[in-house]
Amino acid sequence: MPTPDSELQRFDREFRSWARRVRARLTLGRLLTGIAVGLAVGAVVALLLWWQRQGTLRPFALGAGLVGGIGAWIWSWRRRLSDSDVALYLDARLESKEVIATAKDAGGESTDPARAFVVTAAADTLTKGDPKRARPKILAWVHTLAPIGAAAVIYVSWIPLPKAPAAPPPPPGSTLVQIANLQGLDKIEQLEKLDARDAEQRERLKQIAEEARKLREQLNRGMEKREAQAKIAKLRDDVAAERLKLGDQKNRAGLEAAVGKLAQKQTTKDAAKALGDGDLVEFDRKMQELANKAEAADRQAAKEALKEAEKAAREKGAKELAQALEEQQKLFEQRESKAEALRELAKGMKGKLSEEALKDLEEFGQSGSPEAQKRLAESLEKALEGMSEEERKRLAERLQKQLEQKEGGGANPMTKEQIEELAKRLATPEGQKQLEEQMKELAKPDASKEGQREQGLGDAERGGAEAERGLGGMAPVPMEGNGSPGPGKDKEGGKGQSGDAENGTAGPGSHHDKGRGDHKGETKKLDDKGMRAKATAKINPGAPMQGSTLGRAPARAGETANQAGTGALGQAGPAELGGVEGSEVPEEYREQVGRYFQP
Amino acid sequence: MTDSQSFEARLAQAKSASSRLREAIGSVIVGQNAVVDQVLWSLIAGGHVLLEGAPGLGKTLLVRTLASALELKFSRIQFTPDLMPSDVTGTNVLVMDATGGATGRFELHRGPIFGQVILADEINRATPKTQSALLEAMQEHAVTIAGTRHVLDQPFFVLATENPIEMEGTYPLPEAQLDRFLLKVLVPNPSEDEMTAILARTTGHEVAAPTAVLRREDVLALRSLCRDIAVAEPVLRYAARFVAQSVPESRDAPEVVRRGLRYGAGVRGAQSLVLAAKALALLEGRAQVAFTDIQRVALPVLRHRMIRSFEGEADGITTDRVIEELVASVPTRPGAVEAAVQGSR
Repeated sequence: MPTPDSELQRFDREFRSWARRVRARLTLGRLLTGIAVGLAVGAVVALLLWWQRQGTLRPFALGAGLVGGIGAWIWSWRRRLSDSDVALYLDARLESKEVIATAKDAGGESTDPARAFVVTAAADTLTKGDPKRARPKILAWVHTLAPIGAAAVIYVSWIPLPKAPAAPPPPPGSTLVQIANLQGLDKIEQLEKLDARDAEQRERLKQIAEEARKLREQLNRGMEKREAQAKIAKLRDDVAAERLKLGDQKNRAGLEAAVGKLAQKQTTKDAAKALGDGDLVEFDRKMQELANKAEAADRQAAKEALKEAEKAAREKGAKELAQALEEQQKLFEQRESKAEALRELAKGMKGKLSEEALKDLEEFGQSGSPEAQKRLAESLEKALEGMSEEERKRLAERLQKQLEQKEGGGANPMTKEQIEELAKRLATPEGQKQLEEQMKELAKPDASKEGQREQGLGDAERGGAEAERGLGGMAPVPMEGNGSPGPGKDKEGGKGQSGDAENGTAGPGSHHDKGRGDHKGETKKLDDKGMRAKATAKINPGAPMQGSTLGRAPARAGETANQAGTGALGQAGPAELGGVEGSEVPEEYREQVGRYFQP
Repeated sequence: MTDSQSFEARLAQAKSASSRLREAIGSVIVGQNAVVDQVLWSLIAGGHVLLEGAPGLGKTLLVRTLASALELKFSRIQFTPDLMPSDVTGTNVLVMDATGGATGRFELHRGPIFGQVILADEINRATPKTQSALLEAMQEHAVTIAGTRHVLDQPFFVLATENPIEMEGTYPLPEAQLDRFLLKVLVPNPSEDEMTAILARTTGHEVAAPTAVLRREDVLALRSLCRDIAVAEPVLRYAARFVAQSVPESRDAPEVVRRGLRYGAGVRGAQSLVLAAKALALLEGRAQVAFTDIQRVALPVLRHRMIRSFEGEADGITTDRVIEELVASVPTRPGAVEAAVQGSR
C-alpha cells in the first residue's frame, strides 16, 4: 500500500521528467525561431551591404543567425516556464482538469486527504498520460526562414556588387590642385630684385615675391583650386597697385599738362602720345630715339619739351610724374652723350666699316632707334676686333684730330676728356679691350629706371595671368598684350601672348603692333576716294573708356552673394542671398549659372 | 486505509449519494437537469437558491420533491403583500387553559422558517420588511423572536421563487438581499419531449411520490466534503481575476463591463464562485476544482450580483451576456503557458 510520501515522490519524479521534456522542446523551438529570424535579418543586412557595395562584409551576415540563436536562448531562459506553469501546461494538454496544477500547488501538504488524493490522481495522470499529447511543437512555419535566409545571404555574398554611381561633381573650385612648378609665379618672385621707387615699395615688392614663393610651395603640396585662384588674384592686384598710375585722379591734371607741353613740339609728339597712353616703357623708348638722333636741334627741342613738361607736371601737383620726367631728362643727356661717342667712333672708323654698318649708322642718325644702336655697336665692335695695331693707332690719331677740329667749334656733347680717353685706350691693348667691352655695353638696351620698373611690374602681372591660366577654369579676360615687337625687323607685328593650349583659352593680342607688314589678303582696299569718317577717340587720352572696366573687382574666386556684406558684390541684400539657388534654374544648369555669376 | 483511500471512498459515496438524489428527483421532475444540478450545487455548497421562472414550470414541485427526497422537514411560505414577519418566523402566543381562560404564560409558536427545506414562494410579492425576516434567517441560520435568539436546524436550505412576469404589486429584492443567494437559477420552459413526458406522468391517477434517499447526516457530510475539495492557486487567482474584471472601474475590465454595468460582483461573489465550483467538482467525483468549473458556475453565481448601468439597460445588455463575455476574455493561464499550449496544438 503506497504511503502519501511515496505518492508525492512518484508524482515529483514523473513531473520532473515531463517538465524537462517540455522545457527542452520549448527552448529548442525558440532557439530555432531565433536562428530563423536572425538569418532573415541577416539576409536583409547582406542585401543592404550589397547595395552599399560593402562586399567583404556580406558573408558575416550569417552571424546574424548565431546572434539570433543566442538571443533566443537568453530570452527562452528568462521566459522559461515555472513548475506551476508547466503543470498548467500539462493539465491543458492532457485535459486533466487542473489535477497536476493542484497537486503541484499542494507541495508538501499531502497530509490533507483531498490533496493526497489529488497527488495520487496527478501521478496516475502523468504515468498513464501519452507524452506525445503534451509534447510542445518544435518546428513552426517561421523556421522555414532559416534555410531561406541562409541561402539568401550566400547568394547575395556570391553575386557581384552593383556598379558605383557616378560621384557628384565637386563644388566649383573645390577640387584640389597640385602643381610642381606653376609657370608665371617666377615672374612675380622676380619683383624683389626690381629697383624700387623707395624703401616702402621695396618692402612691398619683397612681400609680394614672398607671397608668390609661399603659393608655389602650397601648390607643390596641393591646395584647393579656388584658394589658389584667390591668392593669384590677390597677387595680381598687389602687383597692379604698385604700377605707376599716371591716369589717376591725383596725377590726371599733371599728366594732361605734361602731355600738352610735349605735344606742342613736333619732335616729341609720339612721346606725348605714349605718355598720354600711360605707357612709360614706350615713352622711354621714344625719348631714347630722340636722344640718339643726329640732329642737335631735335635733341635740343626734345630736352626743352621735357623740361617744360616736368615743370607743368610739378605745377599741377603730379609729383611722381614730375620725378619720372626729371629722371628722363638726366637719362636723355647720358644717352645723348653715348650716342655722340658712338657716332664719333664710327666716323673715325669709316673706312673699316662694312656696308651694313654704314646703313646702321645712317639709320641710327635718322631714327635713333635702340635696335639700330645695338646693331651699330656690334658692327663697331667687330670692326675693332678686325683692326691691326697700326690701324688702331691711326684711328687714335684721327680721333685726336677730330677733337682738335671740334675745339672752339660747335657744341659737342662728347667732351675733350672723353675723346682723349678714347684715343689713349686705342693706343694700348688693355684700352682696346676696354673699348670693346664698352661697345658691348652700348649694344645693350638702356631703359630708364621707371621704365625698367614698369617693365618688371608688367612682367609680374603677366606672370600672374599666366599662373591663373595654368590653374585652368578662368574665363579669358581681355587685357593688354605683353608681346614685344617681333624680331622681323619691323616687318611684322608683335606676337600675341600664347594661348592656354590645355584649357583652350586664347591669349590676349599684342599692343605693340607696329609691324609694317603687307597684310596680304586680309584687308581689302577701300573703293572710295577718301575716308568718310574717322574715329578720333582722344577725348581723354590715357583714361579708361567709359563703360569698360579694366581693373578688377576686389572679389576672389569662389565667392558668391551668399555671404552678406563681403566679396565683389559688397552689401548683398537679404533677398539676394541664395538667389541663384532659389531661382527657377533647372538643376542641370545651376552649376553653370553659379559659375557665371562668380566674381 | 490511508487518508487518500478514505477520501476516495468518501468521494465515491458522495457521488453515489448525488446520483441517488438525482434519480429520486428525476422520478418526479421531468427534464430540467441543469436546474436540478444547480440546486444540488447549492445544497452541497451550503447556499440558498433563487429560482426564477414563469408560473407552471415546476419550481414548487421541484422544491417539494427535493425536500421529500432528502427526508428533511419541509416548509412552504407563500409570500403575499399582507404577509407579516411573524408569519414567517413565528410568535409568542398566550397559553389558554382547558376552560379557555388565560394562564398568563406565553408559548413560542414557531413559524415556517423553522423547517429545513424552505420554499419561499413568490418572494418578491411580500413587503421588504417580511423579506428581510427571511433573509436574516438565511444569513444567520437563526431567528430572534421577542428578544430570544433561536438557532435553526441544520441543514437549512432556502429555495425562493420569483415570477419574472406579473410584476405589478411586487417588491423586487434589494441587491444586498439578492447577494445572500448563492445561485440564481433560471427555470427554462421544457422541451417538447419533456413536455410530453410531463403530460403523460401528471394527467393520470397515479402521481409519483419520491422516496427519501438522503438523510440529514448525509447532507451534512456532503457539505463537509465539499469544503475539503482542493483548489490550486492558479484557479483561485482565475476566480479572483474573473470577479475583479466584472467591476467597471477595473483597469482590465472588458468594454461590455465598462459600458453595461454600474456595479460588479464583490468578494462574496468570488467566494460563492469557488464554493459552487467545489460543489460541481464534488458532484463530478473530483477532488480538485478546474478552470472550467469556475466558468460553468459563473452564470448562476454572478448574474444576480451585478447591477446594470442605465446605458446597459438601454442597450439591452444582460448580466448573462456580461458574464459570457468575461468567460471568453479573462485568461485562465499565464500568457507564456497559453502561448505554449496554443503553439502545441
